[in-house]
Amino acid sequence: MLKINNLSAKIDNKSILQDFKLEINPGEVHAIMGPNGSGKSTLSNILSGKKGYDVTGEVLFENKDLFSLETEERAHKGIFLAFQYPLEIPGVNTNVFLKTSLNAIKKARGEKELDAIQFLKLVKEKAKELKFDEEKLGRQLNVGFSGGEKKKNEILQMSILNPKLSILDETDSGLDIDALKTVAEGVNALRKKNNSFLIITHYQRLLEYIKPDFVHVLMNGKIIKSGGPELALELEKKGYENIN
Amino acid sequence: MRDKQIEDLKDYKYGFSTDIENFKAPKGLNEDVIKFISNIKKEPQWLLDWRLKAFERLKVLKEPDWQKPKYPKIDYQDLYYYSAPKSFKDKPKSLDELDPKLLETYQKLGIPLNEQKRLNGIAVDAVFDSVSVATTFKETLTKQGIIFCSISEAVQKHPELVKKYLGTVIPLTDHFFATLNSAVFTDGSFVYIPPGVRCPMELSTYFRINASDTGQFERTLIIADKGSYVSYLEGCTAPMRDENQLHAANVELIALDDAEIKYSTVQNWYPGDKDGIGGIYNFVTKRGLCKGKNSKISWTQVETGSAITWKYPSCILKGDNSIGEFYSIAITNNHQKADTGTKMIHLGKNTKSKIISKGISAGFSDMTYRGLVDISPKATNSNNFTQCDSLLMGNKCGAHTVPYIKNKNSDSNIAHEATTSKISEEQLHYCQQRGLNPEEAVGLIVNGFCKEVLQQLPMEFAVEAQKLVGISLEGSVG
Amino acid sequence: MEEQLKIDFEKKLKDFSYSDQEKKFKETNFKEFLKQGFPNRKLENWKFSDLNQIIKNNIGELTFYNDYKKENQIDKIELIRELEHNRIIIVDGKIEKIDFKFEEKDKIEVLDEQGEETIKENINSLINLNNAFSNKFCKIIIKKNYSLKKPLVIYHSTNKNTQSKNTNSRIDFKLEENACLRIIDIFKDNSEKNFLNIYYNFELDKSSILKNYKIDKSINNNVKYSYNNVKQQANSISETFILSSGSKFFKNEINCDLLGQHSSAFVNGIFDLDDENHHEIKSNINHLVENTKSYQLVKSVLEKKSKAVYQGKIFVSSEAQKTDGYQLSNAILLSENSEFNAKPELEIYADDVKCSHGSSSGSLDENSIFYLMSRGLNYKEAKKLLINGFLLDVIEKITDEEIKNLIKDLLGVKE
Repeated sequence: MLKINNLSAKIDNKSILQDFKLEINPGEVHAIMGPNGSGKSTLSNILSGKKGYDVTGEVLFENKDLFSLETEERAHKGIFLAFQYPLEIPGVNTNVFLKTSLNAIKKARGEKELDAIQFLKLVKEKAKELKFDEEKLGRQLNVGFSGGEKKKNEILQMSILNPKLSILDETDSGLDIDALKTVAEGVNALRKKNNSFLIITHYQRLLEYIKPDFVHVLMNGKIIKSGGPELALELEKKGYENIN
Repeated sequence: MRDKQIEDLKDYKYGFSTDIENFKAPKGLNEDVIKFISNIKKEPQWLLDWRLKAFERLKVLKEPDWQKPKYPKIDYQDLYYYSAPKSFKDKPKSLDELDPKLLETYQKLGIPLNEQKRLNGIAVDAVFDSVSVATTFKETLTKQGIIFCSISEAVQKHPELVKKYLGTVIPLTDHFFATLNSAVFTDGSFVYIPPGVRCPMELSTYFRINASDTGQFERTLIIADKGSYVSYLEGCTAPMRDENQLHAANVELIALDDAEIKYSTVQNWYPGDKDGIGGIYNFVTKRGLCKGKNSKISWTQVETGSAITWKYPSCILKGDNSIGEFYSIAITNNHQKADTGTKMIHLGKNTKSKIISKGISAGFSDMTYRGLVDISPKATNSNNFTQCDSLLMGNKCGAHTVPYIKNKNSDSNIAHEATTSKISEEQLHYCQQRGLNPEEAVGLIVNGFCKEVLQQLPMEFAVEAQKLVGISLEGSVG
Repeated sequence: MEEQLKIDFEKKLKDFSYSDQEKKFKETNFKEFLKQGFPNRKLENWKFSDLNQIIKNNIGELTFYNDYKKENQIDKIELIRELEHNRIIIVDGKIEKIDFKFEEKDKIEVLDEQGEETIKENINSLINLNNAFSNKFCKIIIKKNYSLKKPLVIYHSTNKNTQSKNTNSRIDFKLEENACLRIIDIFKDNSEKNFLNIYYNFELDKSSILKNYKIDKSINNNVKYSYNNVKQQANSISETFILSSGSKFFKNEINCDLLGQHSSAFVNGIFDLDDENHHEIKSNINHLVENTKSYQLVKSVLEKKSKAVYQGKIFVSSEAQKTDGYQLSNAILLSENSEFNAKPELEIYADDVKCSHGSSSGSLDENSIFYLMSRGLNYKEAKKLLINGFLLDVIEKITDEEIKNLIKDLLGVKE
């Protein structure tokens, strides 16, 4: 589904990712772990199309060159990024935003757009599953939301937009244990044969609830070790310094 | 009468050796007076021509009248434009001759006795004379190639530098008071920091050689060459007594590539008495030019004195990536009036500016913050942040905020915030419950209000300035 | 210009019969205007624009004479269909029709006004111009305790062949105790290059409510100036909303004197500008007694070479303790040639007050755009959604639901 070959990225001439390689097949859950400044967020930014990076190498999504696609086109194709720091957008109602997004994606895919009633039904259902306060859906996007609510909102968006590849950028940071469980449940509910996940995290904690198929350790812009779920535990025990 | 004066002048035109101690140029503003000043200072022809050009311009300029504080009309023909340093016989002989109120203030500020005398022009014991201290400093500076002297001396010894930079930031044609200064300035400071040199100490008018009696038309020129740094302090916290009512100084700062100038002022001229009689008009023009890329100019001011203060230390951000800052505390009490603020003119790319202004008005005083932020179309990716806070004490005073904000560049951001408030009863009560008297409590709260600006002052100034903030508001509680 | 003014004024005095008082009123104002002329940059209120220049560049030579005897056609004017309303129709400065068809007749009184012989309150030269050249003006009184059932729409129109003309109109309103009036100003520009000068006086008695919505939406090449002078007694409320968009130049001035305790004034506005349009809002909120409140919010979205200016002033006299004054302006510059200028001014003489102002201007937040695009919106959609959200804030301040929806439709803003 996603194939990253020799990806290097620089910002202001500072090298962040070097010859990064990764392949994710349909249905797989990959976790990338790494210390601060290892290039984790850069990876998610580049995959979602944020500008400002000097990039070389190749990224294929369903055999299509990702770099030839605009940010929104990537979203249309089914790439979803749960932001580490979801933005507050004053004046923009959460429901309006979600509906606009969903219908933009449906339209791009040639699917039938949802009307207001269908949409509200869907969003209510999903909000209930995620224990997301319905009242917040009527409020401005992320404005006045707590850190946990913002993260839950990202997962809610994910479950509504139903992407093929979800990238979770430190979604666990700032969550208490109950919120963490809810988020994990949301993710697990989406785990299907054809849906893949790339979970970017600092700690092993989230991986107790979302079992990854593969774990990769990212240091200084490179994957220095890959393995199964046991690698995360090893990492927790030994720390990043002593992993090699 | 006028003919007689000109006659007198002619006599002195060639008589430099006359004992100038007792000499004043005749009253009035005319070409002869300007020629006289230039002559007596042995200035080169180009500088005289420059002064005369300013005078020509002055004739067509009008005194500005848009500022909020109004003042009685000044008769410019009834002023002396040059008076030589006073002989000691005209000066007070001991502190006993001074206003006891003034002495009380010195006590509170903890100003040493000799310093008190010096401030009032009383002859000081040679041992304590700051001149000798200054000489030692001067040696250290000279070693690094730093020039720090009076502008008159600089005209003689470094004419190429003066000629190159004088009037490049405040042009001859600027506005009435600035142009007046250009025509008749008497003396002031000159600083030049060579490339790559970080000035090892805070330069101060305090240690300036021949510091006394620079007169009412002071001129300062500071040049920081590429990659250099200087911090300059002007004034002192003790109240300054002065004979001249009108002060129209010009200060020009020039920062070349990667250079930084930090200019701090504590202005505490005589504000007039409780009923607003007397006091100094402080109409100063201060402007800095960030000429080179990555240059920075930072103004910090604590304005507590003068009957009328009217000044806008400004930054012209010409070099790309240059930075301008303005930190200000202005306090008015009794019948004082202040109209002060800054201008940040963004011309270069990626230029940044920051304005923090704290105004406090008490008694019957009136305070205005007036500022301009102008981001020109070419100043891409520039930004400004402005915070202006006013505190009112009593309802006989006024606090006004008049910012002009112009954004002509879509990649640039300007944010401006302003608040006006008073010291809450709860705050006062809390402090008093902890044992402070009302004046102490107000001092404490006001110092808290001003903290962001006080932090910008050099260490040796900061403590005194804090005390000054409290003292300036005395009598305003109750 | 002076020559033309004199000729036109003479002709006017000759052609229409005025009472002595009216004549005196017009002459005094005319003299005052000649003395001062059109405002220029030297005046603090006109710091950011020079009306002389604006008239010169967009109109050329102005003429000032209007034939008020002529019956103007009004049936061609397209009326608002979305809501039922009372109407006043003004064509070339002449009030052609006053129709309060939805209201009880004895609750509204329309009086002819003569004007004062001397100038009591010399506001500015444009008001002098208006008083000198406007036709007879009237005073509309809303009686005690009466709330109009339907809003009053005032249509400002010009004749097809009217060009390079200055037109002046003035209406005075008095809202008696506990009365309530909603006014919508709509511009129907049928011709180009005119200078419209509109002047309203409002007297708000105790507990009365005035809502004035000024909508300048359709694109036109006229230059406009409007002045609202509002005097408010205790517990009265005034709400002004300005949608400033379509005209070449439009300056709206709002002066509110809060004369009675617990009176409040709200001024909200949107600059939605394109091309080379230049619009301004100038407000003066004068807090003159204790316990009064004002709130101002102005948002700007500026395309191409457009320019918006917001000069908002809060004045608090020494008697006006416990004043609550707030003022905020935000601008988004969408083009490298657009420009936003602000002068948020506070002049305060009382200490127990809560006053603040804020102003920000800059580009659309690229991070927000990216966030929206990562959810599948294209750049254009993302921009629209953000601007929508940015403006919604001000529109939500409109307290009249019917009119709020009308304005939302006009702007294409969705919730």
